[in-house]
Order: sequence, then structure tokens, then C-alpha cells
Amino acid sequence: MQRDLGSLPLAPALRARLVAAGFQTVQELLEIGPCGLSKEIGISKEEALEALQVVRQECHGDAARTAGGSGATRKCTALELLEEEQAQGFIITFCSALDNILGGGVQLTKITEICGAPGVGKTQLCMQLAVDVQIPECFGGVAGEAVFIDTEGSFMVDRVVDIATACVQHCQLIAEAHQEEDNLKALETFSLESILSHIYYFRCRDYTELLAQVYLLPDFLSEHSKVRLVVVDGIAFPFRHDFEDLSLRTRLLNGLAQQLIIIANDHKSAVVLTNQMTTRIGQRQSTLVPALGESWGHAATVRLIFHWDNSQRLATLYKSPSQKESTIPYQITSHGFRDVQPPAVTQNAEGTEMNPRKRPRREEEK
Amino acid sequence: MVVLRAGLCPGLTEEMIQLLRANDIRTVVDFVSSDLEDVAQKCSLSYKVLVAVRRVLLAQFSAFPANGADLYEELKSSTAILPTGSPSLDQLLDSGLYTGEVTELMGAPGSGKTQVCLGIAGSVSLGLKQHVLFLDSTGGFTASRLYQMLRARAEDEEEQLEALQRIQVVRVFDVYEMLSALQELRDRLSQQVVSSTGPFKIVVIDSVSAVIYPLLGGKQSEGLAIMMQLARELKTLAREFSLAVVVTNQVTRDSSTSPLKPALGRSWSFVPSTRVLLESKEAAWEKATTQRVASLAKSPRQPTGIQVELDIGNGDVQEPSPATPTQGL
Repeated sequence: MQRDLGSLPLAPALRARLVAAGFQTVQELLEIGPCGLSKEIGISKEEALEALQVVRQECHGDAARTAGGSGATRKCTALELLEEEQAQGFIITFCSALDNILGGGVQLTKITEICGAPGVGKTQLCMQLAVDVQIPECFGGVAGEAVFIDTEGSFMVDRVVDIATACVQHCQLIAEAHQEEDNLKALETFSLESILSHIYYFRCRDYTELLAQVYLLPDFLSEHSKVRLVVVDGIAFPFRHDFEDLSLRTRLLNGLAQQLIIIANDHKSAVVLTNQMTTRIGQRQSTLVPALGESWGHAATVRLIFHWDNSQRLATLYKSPSQKESTIPYQITSHGFRDVQPPAVTQNAEGTEMNPRKRPRREEEK
Repeated sequence: MVVLRAGLCPGLTEEMIQLLRANDIRTVVDFVSSDLEDVAQKCSLSYKVLVAVRRVLLAQFSAFPANGADLYEELKSSTAILPTGSPSLDQLLDSGLYTGEVTELMGAPGSGKTQVCLGIAGSVSLGLKQHVLFLDSTGGFTASRLYQMLRARAEDEEEQLEALQRIQVVRVFDVYEMLSALQELRDRLSQQVVSSTGPFKIVVIDSVSAVIYPLLGGKQSEGLAIMMQLARELKTLAREFSLAVVVTNQVTRDSSTSPLKPALGRSWSFVPSTRVLLESKEAAWEKATTQRVASLAKSPRQPTGIQVELDIGNGDVQEPSPATPTQGL
């Protein structure tokens, strides 16, 4: 109750008035009541009531949290978090080398950013993930749905059909090989149509639309509770032009990043962003760096950089809280995002050993 | 700026307050700074009573002087130095994190700030058996990585799990949530509730800029006020309850060629008493290593500019292959 007024989410003008009238702590404010408050600082009774409601809400939140009540959704010990992390699955990428460096696949509850030059395969991976997130649990997937927010207009539905068909085929092969009942049962509903109908596609044409979409997304997600993946393909594109005030851009982008973290955390879904590359001119040589500046780099928890080495596509894990930085090759085939042939056999074996939820990959699949 | 109330000090009655209020004297500051003769005339109050009240109020609201010897005694009894878990970082910080101070780690994305934070949390929890409060505002807290670090340090599984239990993680994604969490901490510490969570010795905030950045920039000045509110809260928490506070900050540059500087500007630069800059040894992202260079940018006791090397890849149980978090307990 001795909480300082400055730490409450009140309007700046109102706070200034309260301070001028000599109010310091929540206690003093609650004692006075709405009528007294409106008289004291010269605001209408409705405004005073509203302000007091905000204050009460905050304090009750505090009280509930101290008592260990239901308000404590975001508070836990590291042990509980560890159990949670181990229980939740990954979205596999169909490229075992990439899964390995990511620690099993794209992590739920985290933001993964994919940076890369045009044409290196960012959107391909996004589409692959939008399909893979729907793999039924008995095949080692997370049986979720996907939200795809497209700012560049690069979502190709015919390509998704290719990828989805290959994915269904892959699961069919597994089911045939193992002949397990739940696998066969799951396959009845896991079809191309169901995959396509569970990708929710939003097209945002400028940054206003993108911001609006992201801020409205929690409502959509509470209606569609199975969504486990949110893709924003092209976070950089709407923010790289039309901005005169760069500090406003930073502010908006950072607000967006926090909102995405909230979505990832509260809805237990993975958030995947793609970013473009830009050139930083150095003293001796110029380097290719992810766009949107230094501070944006903190937004994503996991950062992957896709680049070319001659004609070979490479993926570098640049930032991750749990995994070592490393580089692996990958390729994009007509079936989607895949390992480079011949696949690194040792890595493949390790990957399947370590992750019991994953089925061994059939060689004929690739 | 405390409002005058009956019972605030002996001799200050409700009638007096009403009279003073009628003359626009509402707060202690108003009262103390006004001309008492004038007030006595206007409010028809006794001058003697007013002077007495003023003396009591001044005594009540002024700072109490302390001498250096006492301060030193207090310092010796209340300050602890917590090891960070990395010998080279300890050396840089003059043997570790001091309680009562705010220490800042800053660095570019992927420079290892979160890794160092996890290392500190692990080492304080495992080595000192102290409780740790970890405020995570970026979603970067990864329990599996922490577990990996703990496994590298302690053999006993029971011990590792206990250490994990002593680390309390709160996820706060905006600055008001962070302030609430800190307020809650203050309540708990001041009430000395001996609950399952126990007393805290260290608070780690990863990252402070993530919650403040969305409020700064553009044409709004509101963010600065909130930032300084947070700063004051952190400093008083650290001092009053002898906590070590560790915060992480981002780095920015003015133009693409200028050197890195800490984010949040000059007014924030007074908040941490120690600042450590983390940098990758290799400038280009193509050559990723686990080697980092930590340099001291601000310190009350060590010369600034000294550098040490860190290896953030340490504590990896399986060196050759990347570990998978899904490995069971």
C-alpha cells in the first residue's frame, strides 16, 4: 500500500496533478475516495472514479500475487519452468541439421528471427513451418494451427500445397512402416485440405495494418486456442520506408517486439519473424548485417541468419539462449526445406536419439 | 510533498489544518517554506504553536546525519560480495557483485548478456544457497540452459534441483508490470515474510531496455519519467535491503561508423554504479565463437577500461554436440 504513485499506469497529466496536490502513495489515494479526490485536484467525479479503479486494480493484483493467487501466471521457479520447457514440443523444420542446432526445432514460447538476403529461403522456411506445426502429436508434432501475417505478399499458396502434400506423404510412410493404430487414425484427419484450412492468413500492406494486426492478435488467438505458430513474414519491409522520424520507428518496433513476446509467452506459441539484410559500411570493409538496426537485434530470442556460400545455402545460428552458435547447410527442394544430400549421418542419428518424440527419418523420403 | 494531516505531528490539529488549507497551505513543504508570522496573522493561529509545529516537522522530515565511522561499520556488516560464477568476470568486478549496488551488463545482440545473467543466477543459487529473483522481460530465460550450467558445476542431482527451486522467475513484459514486481519484492522484504521463497540477495533484470524502449522516442516525454521512477526504485531497493541488482542494457550507435554506446541515454548512465560492456571477439557474424571480451566502462573501485576474456560456452556438458533441452531429468 506504500506503493509510489509514479509506478502506476496513470495518465501523465493526472499524475502531475496528484503530485502537485501532495499525494505520494497509493494508501493516501485510496483513503480519500472519489468525491474527495475530485474536489482535491479539480477533476470530474467520473475521472476520479476511473483513476481510483486503476489504482485498486493494481493493488489487488499485488495482493493476489503476494498471496500466491491466480494472478501469478507469469511467476514461477526455475524448476517449474524447466519442467514446462521439457514438456513442450518443438516445431520440426524437416531439416535435421537445422533442428539439431536449434535444439530440436523451432521453440514454442520464443521468438525466432530469420534474417537473410532475398531468395535465400526465408519465406520457404516460414511456409514449411506453417505446415509442420500441424503434424499430429503421434508423429512427434505439436498438432497446432498457424497464423501467417504477410507484409510482402510473398505467400505462395501453391507452394504450400507442394510442401503440405510432401508432409502428408511423409507421415503416411511412417504410418505404413510402423502400423500403429493411433498413427493411422490421425492420418484420417491429417490431409491437405485440413492443413490449408488451418493456416490463417493475414495480408498487411503497411506498418499501421501490421501494428493493428499484432495488437489485435491476442483476441484472435483466444478464439483459436490451437494456434501454436505465428509467422510475420517481412517484419522489416513496412518499417524500411515511410519513416522520417527514426526514433518513432524504434519506439514502434520495440513496442511490437514486446507485444510479440507477450503473445508467444501467453499463448504458448512460437513466433517466427523474417528480416532483411542491409549493408553496414565499415572503415575497411562493409559487412552484411540484419536490417532495422542494433536495438531490434534484441527483440528476437533466437536469431538465424541465412546466407549463401557460392551456390550452397547456409544457416547460421547467431543468437540463442540455450544453443551454441553454429552453421549448417540446407537446401530447398520441391518438397520444401530439407537437409543437404548426403545428410550428415552422425548428426541425424544423434538427433533422433536425443529427441524421443521424433520419428526416424526415412531415407527414401528425401 | 507530504499532505498535512491531523496526527502527523503533535500539536497539529484538524482545525489548524482546515485553517491552513483555507490559505492554500496543503503540504509540509508549503508549511515549512511559508512565512510563519504571515500565516499566524492570516489564519489567526498562535505564532508559538506554528513555530513548534514547524520545528517538529523539520525534525521529522529531514535526513539524519551519520558519521563515516558508523557508515563503515554498517557497510562491513551489510555488504556481501557475490561471485558471478566466472573467475575472470569476478576479477573485473573486483571479486564479484557488491550488494547495495546496481551493476549493468551491456552488449549487442548475441553478445552473451543473458548467458552471463543465467551464470550469475546459477552460481548464487548453487554456490551460496541464496534465493534469486530473475525478472525476464525478453523471454530469454531458458531453464534448460541454466540446468545445463548447474549440471556442469554440481554432481548431485538433488542439489541441482534445489538450486533451480531457489531461482524465482517473473516474466514482465511492460514497465508497469516490472514496477509491480519490484513493489511486491519490496513488500515482501519489508514484511520479512519467511515463505517458501525466502529472502533474496540478488535481483537480475534481463533486460531493462526492452521495457523502456517502447516508451522512449517519438514526441513523448512520459518514458523518461517512468525510466527514472524505475531507476530510483532499483537504487533504493539495492540500498535498503542490501540487494545486488544486475540489469542488462542494449547498445546503440549514433551512426553506422561510430563506436558502440550504452542505450537509454545519459540520464540512465548515472543509475548503475558499475557498467560492463560485453563484446564478441570476432566482429563478423560469420565467425561465431563462444569467446567474449568484457570491459569495464564504469566502476567505483576499479580502473575503467580493463578487459578480461570470457567464455560463455562454458558449463556445456556435451562439448562436441549441441545439447538438446528435451533430455530428461
